[in-house]
Order: sequence, then structure tokens, then C-alpha cells
Amino acid sequence: MNEERIQKILYYAALIIALLFVLAPVLFMISMSLSERADFLGNRYIFTLKHFREILTTESLHFMRYCLNSIVISFVSAIICTAAAGSGAYAFTRFHFRGRIWLLIAILTLSMFPQISIVGYLFRLIADAGLINTYTGLILPYTAWIFPLSLWILISYFSQIPRDLDKAAYIDGCSPLQAIIHVILPVAAPGMFSTLLLAFISAFNEFMFALMMTTDYTARTVPVGISLFQGLHGEIPWGAIMAASTVTTAPVVILTLMFQRYIIQGLTRGAIKG
Amino acid sequence: MKNMSKKQRNISSDSLWIAGFLFPGIAFLVIFILIPVFGTLFTSLVSDITFMKRQWAGLDNYIRLFNDSAFRQSLGFTILFILVSVPLETVAGMGLALLMHVKSPFRGVIRAIILIPWAIPAAVTGRIWEVIYNVNYGLANYLVSMAGFGPVNWLGTASGAFIAIVLADLWKTMPFVAIIILAGLSSIPETLYQQARIDGASFVRRFFSITLPLLRPVIVVALLFRTIDALRIFDLIYILTSGGPGGSTTSLSLLGYKYFIGGDYGYGSTLSVVIFLCAFLLSLVVIRLGRFSREVS
Repeated sequence: MNEERIQKILYYAALIIALLFVLAPVLFMISMSLSERADFLGNRYIFTLKHFREILTTESLHFMRYCLNSIVISFVSAIICTAAAGSGAYAFTRFHFRGRIWLLIAILTLSMFPQISIVGYLFRLIADAGLINTYTGLILPYTAWIFPLSLWILISYFSQIPRDLDKAAYIDGCSPLQAIIHVILPVAAPGMFSTLLLAFISAFNEFMFALMMTTDYTARTVPVGISLFQGLHGEIPWGAIMAASTVTTAPVVILTLMFQRYIIQGLTRGAIKG
Repeated sequence: MKNMSKKQRNISSDSLWIAGFLFPGIAFLVIFILIPVFGTLFTSLVSDITFMKRQWAGLDNYIRLFNDSAFRQSLGFTILFILVSVPLETVAGMGLALLMHVKSPFRGVIRAIILIPWAIPAAVTGRIWEVIYNVNYGLANYLVSMAGFGPVNWLGTASGAFIAIVLADLWKTMPFVAIIILAGLSSIPETLYQQARIDGASFVRRFFSITLPLLRPVIVVALLFRTIDALRIFDLIYILTSGGPGGSTTSLSLLGYKYFIGGDYGYGSTLSVVIFLCAFLLSLVVIRLGRFSREVS
């Protein structure tokens, strides 16, 4: 009895400390984005929406354009990547072919490569193709970069779908492609959704490629835009930066809060099997 | 006879399907990852600086790297960063995982909140922590002064910047470790704990004799992922310190990036190849280690 009590007290104490540590930076960001002055700690707090108005309406900041770029680039990359990973995962889980395991290990190894080991050459590849500072110039490498994780997640989902399902479809005269569309996809929908979500978040958060491959607002993504945010006169406009950070963070955090279960499922499937 | 030809046809049509299904993903990987890796390897053997004639350099770049004090400083920083941050993140992640695992009516909310730092882009994380470490109005110095100490110049001193980066990275990455360990926790059968409780084992004892040993393979996976990730750290440092003060927090990736931006592709590639080899060897070593510990136990 006594022990259970100690355990409970310890649990709540640890929980409060952990949640404080996790939430404090986020709350600090939001408070500063809504504060007239950056030095509000220990001073009077004056509420204002001017920083949000500034980033949403000032043309020269291009913040809205960065948001649009990020959403389009991440969404398209996530869709292509999930489709390619879905078809790959089907091959890996439904067919036995020579070198299957080695191919899988090789693909997994690719996902552990440091970005820096490809970014220099990739830059020239994209530049030679005339794709610097375009959506395509980011979508293509993003799709490749996120593919291994997506494939891994979907393989673990697909391998849990009974083989008899597609065997029945074959007997009914379906081709493998038809079997995927009519039999696998409906059953694998939650897995596809997790993958899509994780792929989107990965692409949305990517930094180094976007930093190298974009030169101005036509294709620059939000993370890079925020990292380059400077005041007109050299001072750092913290209120505006924190407002931009809040706006950027909101969609990913809302997605996370809503689909926590799918994200945890996808991530553990992507990681544990390794 | 007839049967056999049908079977053969099936096999060849199967391999067509396999090739078709695998093609899109493999094509992306080959063009945008594999070719650049080999391209980088080749470029590392060339003197390749913007506006200068490209010429074969053999191992010159590698010899230069060996004698480069900036590289040595960067290597030292990166190794120290891995040694400090990875164990810290693993312990913190384990703690979070235990909290996320406890059954309570708020479990879903708690899990979602703990995931928030993972979901925020690293670039935004960098900016948030940059203002937290601001000397005049940051949260860090506010807390420090409440504890009765003078203001700390977090990002302006080598040791302050190091601690600042470790702390911000801890915040950002511990949810990921927690999720991996949480999966391991969920797979431990509840009956083991019930049995131990009947035997009168305290919860500390239960943790060290049931939870920890059974989690070992999962912890090794978490360590592997975190070490490789810490080795290539870039975003957070690029924003928080840009590698300063005095180059003291320049990670290997940041150093490589600076050479690429400066137009020295040959030397930047050499550095990239070295980082690549480190990551590759590390993954092999830790995978081996994981297998070894599993065989022993």
C-alpha cells in the first residue's frame, strides 16, 4: 500500500517536471509572439496581435509564400513517396525474389546516410537540371530521402495483411495491380495514412536541402525562411520571428495532437524492426 | 509439359511485376542518393574550387584534412557532443517512455504533448531556443537570476554554447527515444510484473530486474539511431550558434556545409566522405553490439 503511494507521488512529480520542460519553450514562444515587447519576463505584459498582423500582411517578408511553398512541396513529396513505398512494400511482402533481404538492408542503410554526404553533389545535379529554386528541385530529393522510412513502415503494415486476401483476388482473375487497389489498399488505409503523415512532417521539417537548393521566396520553405528572418535595420525582430514560429508550429502540432496514435504506430514500426 | 510452361510464364511475369513495383522507389534512391554519394566520393579526389580549373588531386584533400586544425576542432566537438548528448537523451527518453506507459485517463493527452518537440521543425526549435538563451530577456537567464545567479552569456562563450546546444537538442530529440522505448515497454507481458509483485519485489527492483534487461535490445536501437543522428547534427547548430564562438561548436556537417558554400567542393566532399564513413562504421559497430548483447542474455 505504502509503496503504491510513493509510486503515485513519484509519477506525478516526474510527470509535472517533464511536462513543464516540454511545454515551457512552446509557451515562451507563444507569449513572446503576443507580447508588445520582447523583454516581458519580469516586466508588465502588454498583449498585442501586431506581430501576427506583420508577418501575415507584410509583402516583403514573403512569409505566406514560404508557407505555401512548404505545404505544396511537402504534400507532393509525401504523396509520391507513399505511393512508391506502397508499391515497393507490396513487392517485398508478396513476392520472394533473390537478394530480397540484401536489397532491404541496403535501402535501410541509405536512410542512415548523413545528408551532408550527398548535398554537395546533389546541388550540382539539381543545378545542371536547371531546377535550383523550384518546387521540383526539392520534391525529387525529398521523395528519395523519405522513401526508406516510408517503405519500412509500410512493409511492416503489409506483412500483417493475410496473404489469402490477395490470393483470393488472384483466383478471381485480378492482376497484382488490381489486387493492390481493390484488396490491399482498403485494408492498409491506416498504415498508408501513418506513412503519409510521417512523410509530410519529415518533408515539412527538412532544412539542409532547402537551404542549399533555394535562393529566394519562389521556392524557399518555411524553416529556411524563419532561419533567415532579419529585421530591416539589423535588429532581430523577436516578436515577428516567434509569431512566424507559432504559425509554422501550429499545423504540425495540431496534426500530432490529433493523430498521436498513428504517428507513434508508424514511428515504432519504422524503427523497431531494424 | 503444359503445366511447366505455365509455371515458367508465371515466374517471368512475376519478375516483371516485381521490377515494376520496385522501380519507382529504387529509381529515386539511385538518382538522388546513390549517385550523389559516389559523386561525392569522386569529387573528394579532385581539386574542385569554383572559378578554378578542376584537376585530379589524388589523396591531397585527405592529407589536407589530416593536418587541418579546424577539422580537428570540429571532430572533437562532434565526438564530445555525441558522448554527452546521446546518453542524456536516452535516459531522459526512457523516463518519458515510463511516464507515457502508465495507464491513466490522460494517457492520450500526455503522449501527444510529449510528442510536440519532435514535431516542431528543427529550424523553429533553433529560433525558440535562441531567444530562450538571449542574454537580456531570455527565459534561461530569467530562471538563472531567480536562482540568485548573475546573467550567463549562453551563446557567447564556448562552454555556455555547448551546454545550450546539448539542452536544446535534448528537448528536441527525447520524444523520439521515448517512442522507441515505449514500444519496447508495451511488449513486456504484464504477468511478469504481477508475479514479481507477488514475490514482494519493490518497483525499483522490478525496474532493474525486469524492465531494464528486457528493454536492452530496444535501448540499443535507440542508441544506434541517436548516435548516427547526433553525428550529423546540423540544423540546430546552424541557427543557434552558426558554429561559434570561435568555431568551438562547428559540427562536422556544418564545417562541410561551410566549404560547399565557400565553393570548395573537393575539400567539402572529402569531409563529407569522412562523416559518411563514420556513420557507416558506427551503424555496423552498434548493430554488432546489439546482436552480441542479445546472444549473451
